[in-house]
Amino acid sequence: MLAIDAVGVTKKYKGSRMLALSDISLKVESGKVFTLLGRNGAGKTTFVRICATQLTPSSGTIKVLGHDILQNASEIRNLVSIVPQEGRPLRALTPWDHVYNWLKIRGEGSSSAREKTEDILRKLELYEARNRPAMNLSGGMKQKILVAMAMATKAQLLFLDEPTIGLDPVSRRQVWSAIKQWKSNGGSILLTTHYMDEAEILSDYIVIIDKGKIVAEGTIQELRRIIPQNMRVDVSKDGLDVNSLSSYGSVVDTGGGMLRVFTFESAARELSELAIRHNVSFTVSPVTLDDVFVHLIGQTIDKGDTNGVGQNERN
Amino acid sequence: MLPVRQAFLIAYMTGILWLRRNPISLVFTAISPFSLLFVLYVATDGAAVHFAVAGSLVMALVGYGLALGQDISFYKTEYKIQDVFVASPVSPLTYMMGLALSELLFGLPALIVLAGLVVSFGGSLLSIPLLIATILLIWGSMSSMGFFLSSHMLHMRNATQIISFVNVVLAVLPPVFYSIDIVPDALRPLAYALPTTHASLMLQYIIGETPIPADWSLGFGFAVQAAYLIGFVILARTRAIWRES
Ligand SMILES: Nc1ncnc2c1ncn2[C@@H]1O[C@H](COP(=O)(O)OP(=O)(O)OP(=O)(O)O)[C@@H](O)[C@H]1O
Ligand SMILES: [Mg+2]
Repeated sequence: MLAIDAVGVTKKYKGSRMLALSDISLKVESGKVFTLLGRNGAGKTTFVRICATQLTPSSGTIKVLGHDILQNASEIRNLVSIVPQEGRPLRALTPWDHVYNWLKIRGEGSSSAREKTEDILRKLELYEARNRPAMNLSGGMKQKILVAMAMATKAQLLFLDEPTIGLDPVSRRQVWSAIKQWKSNGGSILLTTHYMDEAEILSDYIVIIDKGKIVAEGTIQELRRIIPQNMRVDVSKDGLDVNSLSSYGSVVDTGGGMLRVFTFESAARELSELAIRHNVSFTVSPVTLDDVFVHLIGQTIDKGDTNGVGQNERN
Repeated sequence: MLPVRQAFLIAYMTGILWLRRNPISLVFTAISPFSLLFVLYVATDGAAVHFAVAGSLVMALVGYGLALGQDISFYKTEYKIQDVFVASPVSPLTYMMGLALSELLFGLPALIVLAGLVVSFGGSLLSIPLLIATILLIWGSMSSMGFFLSSHMLHMRNATQIISFVNVVLAVLPPVFYSIDIVPDALRPLAYALPTTHASLMLQYIIGETPIPADWSLGFGFAVQAAYLIGFVILARTRAIWRES
């Protein structure tokens, strides 16, 4: 069974002239992590909220776990769990209060609620802080409370709208491993994120949307092939003849005095040698999802950090 | 059975746990209903005390319903907690009941004192069930009204304005703190159209110290009150925004 089966979903908010979603059709397989990528305002949250029965579409049909979102919303609500974008825990309540009582509200018995609460709080490293009011916790810890509430439930489908926003690198990895475990227990996930490394590590399938339309979809491998070259070389602008770089591949100005050349292995090697000869700093790495994203959305974004997978730095 | 359990758990989370971690907030909600009572008592040298007690009790209950509205819009826009509840097995009415119960909990100290005053004036233990029924009716209709209003207000600033406006219309302008005899004949139907007029009259009836108009009866009061309760619950069930569109 499909976790989500959306056909021709369109959404126009009241009082808005633009379509937030335009004719979106996609299928999310059960037991998979399905990721929506897109710039701010692309329509990710809108789509998630429609699927999670929080918002009605203007047209189109969606089945979630086999149930129609308009006709059988209550069946769906028994089977899903969400982390809303920019949610906040209740100030005076502790992590334990949130998770434990939420599980009981969702029908869990006391002893199993206690067990699951302890388990998720430990996994997300909130256990030490379990009895501290949320208002005394850091922003990332507050965010983790919401993640814990959603991931402690026995829902079949999780909606995670930017779940790791504001989390430190270690905390993010804790959430990632919770997500992987959720999946290995057979659960499905619809994820949105702006972190490309997160999408790369977690996703089984990715859909990139822009201005409410799907612009690309596929597995990581399929998406990487959208860029014809498989390597990229980041070099400093100074000391190199910028025009000659285009003979190595396609050149993108990534700002901060850096250029990125998309190319193949052999040309990457030549380019590296050129950089060494001119004593210019450079980095060679495989093409990432980040590159695909920027390539597709067609904008140059100033990226100070080039967090490529398998980065290979030389001077 | 589950919805009842859910409502109590929501009340436990947002009421009892909140109070346990933040007991000082109880002091404020407990004191505020007595401000007008104090002013009226002092200003009339005690003469208006019966009206003042009935009025304060009604106003407090209106306040809890409206505070519920405010809380709900806060939970919705600021905390996004309503999003979490919408995409869960909790129904809107259960959510409303849970938060309304927790509001009642915050108001309990003041309610007990005011209800105690009503009974001590009325002097009869038999009036206690009547009093409780009256309180529950007003609480229920005001809470569902608060829920209904809140879900239509998208911005917090707006919410506060609407809430103070409704408070004036329901608890200040109509004969809640004063005798309905003062209301000109032409405006009486208007006064009788508001649930709070009847709530105050019911309390005055229980106290038994102020004249009750000939054209009013306890049954009339109950009927209007119940109609509002049913009406607002239906509105909250069908028209309150749970899933947005
Ligand atoms: N309640 C609303 N009323 C009107 N327009 C809205 C509303 N919510 C979102 N929009 C509009 O719909 C479009 C899509 O918004 P959405 O929140 O789905 O984007 P997003 O992809 O989640 O962005 P982000 O990455 O910033 O979270 C935007 O143009 C936004 O302005
Ligand atoms: Mg969003």
